[in-house]
Amino acid sequence: MSDIKSFLEGLDGLTLECEARRGQACSLKDLESLRVEFLGRKGKLAEAMSALVQMGPADKPAAGKKANEVKNALSALLESRQAELEAAEAQDALAGFDPTLPGRRPAPGSLHPVTLAMQEICEVLTGLGFEVVSGPEVENDWFNFEALNMPPDHPARDMQDTLYVSENILLRTHTSPLQVRTMMSRKPPVAVIAPGKVYRRDSDITHTPMFHQIEGLLVDKNVSMADLRGTLTAFVRQLFSADTKVRFRPSFFPFTEPSAEVDISCMLCGGEGHIGTEPCRVCKRTGWVEILGCGMVDPNVFRAVNAAGVGGYDPEAVSGFAFGLGVERVAMLKYGIGDLRMFFENDVRFLEQFS
Amino acid sequence: MHISLQWLREFVPYQGTVQDLADRLTMQGLEVEAILDPFESIAKIVVGHVLERVPHAESDHLSVCTVDVGQPDMLQIVCGAPNVAAGQKVPVATIGTTMPGGLEIKRAKLRGVESRGMICSERELGLSEDHAGIMVLPESFRPGQLLTEALGLEREVIEVSITPNRADCLSVLGIAREAALGFGLPLTMPTLNLREDASAGDAAKALRIDIADAELCPVYRARVLTGAKIGPSPDWMRYRLLAIGQRPISNIVDVTNYILMELGQPLHAFDRALLKGDVIRVAPATPDKEVGRSITTLDGQERKLLGSDLLIWDAERPVALAGVMGGANSSISETSTEVVLECAIFRPGTIRKTARRLALPSEASYRFERGVDQVGSLFALERAAQLMAEVSGARVYTGIAASEPKPWATREHGFRIDRCNALLGLELTPEFCRTTLTGLGCPVNDADPANWRVTSPSHRLDLEREVDLFEECGRVHGLDRIPAVLPKISKSLDSVQMRDTEFGFIQNLKAWAVGAGLREAVNYSFVGTEDLDRLNLPVEGRIKIANPLSEDQNVLRTEIAPGLLNNVRHNLAQGNACLRLFEVAKAFVADETSDTTARENSRLGLLVHGARHAQEWPWEQGEADYQDVKGLIENLLVHYRLTSAANPAQYVLEAAHPYLEPCVRVELPGKGGVKLLGRIGRVQPKIADGYHARKDIWLADMDADLLRELSRATTPAFRKLPVFPPSRRDVTVICPATMHAQAVENAIREIKPKLLESLALVAVYAPEDKADDSKGERNLTFRLTYRHAERTLVDKEVDKEHTKVLTGLPQKLPVRI
Repeated sequence: MSDIKSFLEGLDGLTLECEARRGQACSLKDLESLRVEFLGRKGKLAEAMSALVQMGPADKPAAGKKANEVKNALSALLESRQAELEAAEAQDALAGFDPTLPGRRPAPGSLHPVTLAMQEICEVLTGLGFEVVSGPEVENDWFNFEALNMPPDHPARDMQDTLYVSENILLRTHTSPLQVRTMMSRKPPVAVIAPGKVYRRDSDITHTPMFHQIEGLLVDKNVSMADLRGTLTAFVRQLFSADTKVRFRPSFFPFTEPSAEVDISCMLCGGEGHIGTEPCRVCKRTGWVEILGCGMVDPNVFRAVNAAGVGGYDPEAVSGFAFGLGVERVAMLKYGIGDLRMFFENDVRFLEQFS
Repeated sequence: MHISLQWLREFVPYQGTVQDLADRLTMQGLEVEAILDPFESIAKIVVGHVLERVPHAESDHLSVCTVDVGQPDMLQIVCGAPNVAAGQKVPVATIGTTMPGGLEIKRAKLRGVESRGMICSERELGLSEDHAGIMVLPESFRPGQLLTEALGLEREVIEVSITPNRADCLSVLGIAREAALGFGLPLTMPTLNLREDASAGDAAKALRIDIADAELCPVYRARVLTGAKIGPSPDWMRYRLLAIGQRPISNIVDVTNYILMELGQPLHAFDRALLKGDVIRVAPATPDKEVGRSITTLDGQERKLLGSDLLIWDAERPVALAGVMGGANSSISETSTEVVLECAIFRPGTIRKTARRLALPSEASYRFERGVDQVGSLFALERAAQLMAEVSGARVYTGIAASEPKPWATREHGFRIDRCNALLGLELTPEFCRTTLTGLGCPVNDADPANWRVTSPSHRLDLEREVDLFEECGRVHGLDRIPAVLPKISKSLDSVQMRDTEFGFIQNLKAWAVGAGLREAVNYSFVGTEDLDRLNLPVEGRIKIANPLSEDQNVLRTEIAPGLLNNVRHNLAQGNACLRLFEVAKAFVADETSDTTARENSRLGLLVHGARHAQEWPWEQGEADYQDVKGLIENLLVHYRLTSAANPAQYVLEAAHPYLEPCVRVELPGKGGVKLLGRIGRVQPKIADGYHARKDIWLADMDADLLRELSRATTPAFRKLPVFPPSRRDVTVICPATMHAQAVENAIREIKPKLLESLALVAVYAPEDKADDSKGERNLTFRLTYRHAERTLVDKEVDKEHTKVLTGLPQKLPVRI
């Protein structure tokens, strides 16, 4: 007859022994043999349990209960060791992982800064309600000059030195022919912008023979110069910053009357003209930067398109404004590009700065 | 245009600063570009008093002078001028002064004698060409005085940029009018004090004026002077002309320039002794006759003439190119005494045409082509005659030889104040408008309060219409005071724009290219003929620039490639060898049927050169090749849904291409026939060499207009996702190396295995060992995916279909399985 007391002690001993030995299991394999040694079918627990059969009925419940407790305790001990070993193994597997190695980068693409500026400008203006139109870069004299109130031998033609293909065919000197093309093909109201390449016979440090412009045109009943100012103010605020100020200076363009040059407060010095005690290099101390030309559509332009197109442009019935700005100029101001010629060299070290 | 503030003040009593004047003029539409000090370079020169002059011991032409420059120490200066003498007042550059020519005055020893400064000649000071000796100053000057102050030189000059419409502002008088208007000051004209001398003669009798065409010359007047003594102008006139950047020449010529600058009226002085007969005739050139087909101008150049050029003739021959330049045969010389002073108005377009054709821009033609004040011209003539008499001692004939076949006709315009306010977005009062218009010299008749009658003055040729008067009111009020209102943009329902604009498509295309890892380039639309020749591009269809800036910009590009290839050259020179570029731009080809004689076609160009990946590790390294560019194009076609299993794009070898080898046509079969989307190819190595490229340059040139047109029609069509599993079989086809994969694929499709869902090339293997049996062969492995839409396939039925392929292929093609 087994002695209940020594039975219970024997079980406790198992727990103690397992607790002592589990730390020696250094791998999951060691641990598995340990598990078999203690909990296997022929293991130490099973061996100890064999004494239970010979136990008196009075002792059986207590012995059974104890045996279960020990089984659970052993399982728990082994499981916790298993978790430790698994964690260690996972850590070993990661030992060779180097998060600082470079990634496999797909080739980065980039837009040209002119495109970047142009997209931004067009986005702002289409947001204000303008539609985008396009047209030919090789133009007729009539669309480029005559319909825009610049008859042959007019001194205003000097303002735009022209590259000619033949006597009457030229590379457009501005995007303004799109005003004419638009008004000839549709009746008012119109609100369009025309981005594109333009060409001048001019090449020096501040001029390239090709550059980009964006033209804007709004024609409707009762359009005033206040509307023009409002549109341009909204435009430059969105393009530059909310506190950008706008200044109108009277000027002259043959196809607008009145005409104005638009200055905006210098974005570098905030219109102060100087940064600390240093004079501002962007606005040359004036606090203002010239950004675009604009004006109210000249009645002669309305007359020209009215006669030649679908009509609806009687200058007594409608009025409108037009503006045009140089995209490179905006890009230079926005991105701080100092040299105009860099735009057309397409040096990848330049291009990649606009990724 | 340079305007001296001191000169301006003779017309308007402006007492403010030059900066305030500049700001005001700028905001009135006369942009002041700079405030200059024309004598800055001699600002430090002082007046010196030569106390003693002794000959240099070691030199026969040098003098050693003791000079008082108003400092406690007397300066010892060695001077080489023959005219230096004790007692003279002279200009002195002291130690540390930089001369106009850039020379810095330093302490120096001249043949052993120390010199502490320089006594200057007029030429050294930039005041004249005189270098015969030092400049001797008036007795009254004090030692130590600044020379510029002592001479009364005008130090404040503004540079004004005058827009083409404001011909009236091309003079001191014009700017003075604007200053008077801007500051509410009176305008004062110089007093005329012309003394005629009856004993000299009567101009009208001495000279007859004969104008052939009143349109070409509405008025011609001349004063006749006798007994002129040609010489330098008085200092005040010379210095004033110098201050505004004009070179003084001689008293008679200087007066014509002075009046041109002061009043804006170009004048011309003839040597009357050289004129034949007593008549001045204004008539066009006569290119078909011996006399009048050409003229030798003042500068000694013979100018061939057209019938559209206007000439001034004497009784026999042309003596001046009207309004542009005088003739050499009648110009004022040092010995002239008799002067005919011409003051005329010529038709602007005529002068402009001649001046431009002959490339002879002058201060005179610049003003004539913009328009000169016909009424004001008489005053200019009288003032000029007066000044000429004063500065040359000439006597002036009584009267004027004149012809005015077309007197100035006043122009009257309506002025509706409500229209004015509606256009400007302002609320100007009638009082303001009346004051402004009157102030501009426009008499106002406001009998009808709603529609005034306003007369524009003869000096404002630009005030031609009501709207021009609106501008004036706005300008004087200040355009900058117009409020900002955001307009409501209304649109006609008929013209609501479709989404796919040309601009929108191109932006989208660019976005694709950026996503594909390409960098955008922007090149000039023109290149040099050489750039096109280098690529063997056809000469036919090129659009040449008639007046190119240079030979490398003389033709519009007929393809997108030349620009991108030039970028390769530039980048390689900078050491940037790995290039992945794209450009979207137009190519231009001559087309007689087009309004503009040009057909413009938007192209997408892609270029890769050098390493496939700029980044080395962890990519596998390799040079970019056909697969890289083709992959980009395949991706592009997928992006625009232009290729599908049912209608795949075809890649077809093109036998001969001007600059690509190989060259692959990208074609899309369709209802309207096969469309050519573009080409892919490698730039022929010899040509690539011309761009200094040692590695292959792979290019694609795609028709962006066609891509846009085709992509417009595509809309994604949803297909149900398959429910039943596919069954896949691979087949490796051993075929001649010359056989295209597409041929094998086509053959498989032609066998039409049922249940075939898709087909893909999954491996290409070309045995390396060329010596064995497999020489000239390669293995292509295709994966065929079979699927049934409504049930799971059983192996047997798939095998049956696949066997058709395996047995069918060798029958169709010379291949083994």
